[in-house]
Amino acid sequence: MWAYEKKLQYPVRIKNPNPTYAKIIISQLGGPDGELGAAMRYLNQRYTMPYGDIIGILTDVGTEELAHMEMIAAILYQLTKNLSPEEIKRSGFDTYFVDHTAGIYPVSAAGVPFSASYFAVKGDLFADLHEDLAAEQKARVTYDNILRLVDDPDVRDPIKYLRQREINHFQRFGDALRIAQDKVNPKNYYAYNPEFDGP
Amino acid sequence: MTERERLLRRIQEEDFTVYETVLYLDGHPRNKKALAFYDEHRNKAKALRAEYESKYGPLTFCENRDSEDWHWIDRPWPWEREANA
Repeated sequence: MWAYEKKLQYPVRIKNPNPTYAKIIISQLGGPDGELGAAMRYLNQRYTMPYGDIIGILTDVGTEELAHMEMIAAILYQLTKNLSPEEIKRSGFDTYFVDHTAGIYPVSAAGVPFSASYFAVKGDLFADLHEDLAAEQKARVTYDNILRLVDDPDVRDPIKYLRQREINHFQRFGDALRIAQDKVNPKNYYAYNPEFDGP
Repeated sequence: MTERERLLRRIQEEDFTVYETVLYLDGHPRNKKALAFYDEHRNKAKALRAEYESKYGPLTFCENRDSEDWHWIDRPWPWEREANA
């Protein structure tokens, strides 16, 4: 089970609200490569993983992704504080505002609501670990794209932190893949599925 | 039931008592009786956890007590049949 800690993983301190930034950064909450999908991907994949160490990596990375959801939500909250109707209209935030006001709801930058189809649980450790490596890389690219579009250093700072975490997670899933390859038939990784067929 | 399973069940009971009290306190933050009840069971849960973790390994990743080995990844994980008495 889980216990909540009343702190962010890394501080979020934004002086100037900017709903245009919020409109793009929200993709890392509810978009196709966002933190919600990341948490659901790893935390759901771990149950049928056959090796305790890989379960540990999925549990701990998945739990960290929940903390990243909270950081993105904190960024969105601070970017959309005290907006005037004029700012809302001018920034293009009006299309989100009309349905959610300044509430935090997981959608992509294009406004598509979060979907479980953004992640996969195949029940085969090689399929799932490759999915996880690709997911971390895609999330890093999304953070790169956000950094191309955002100038405010207050916003860039936590985004850079989250981008770096994607790189570290990619490396840890590299460890998991190596561990898995060491444990199955080295002449043929795909001879059977250890999540279903047993070792 | 093994000793480990008995101790884990006691932790689940005390943790549940704490959790239920927490939900009540969130809506009744100055209720003296609830605050005292929370204190009593929080302390019981803490002591039971310390006993469990020193004997059987960590319940959270901050409580690995072996400088030679990382027991956090040891099986069974909680959803496995062997972990549930």
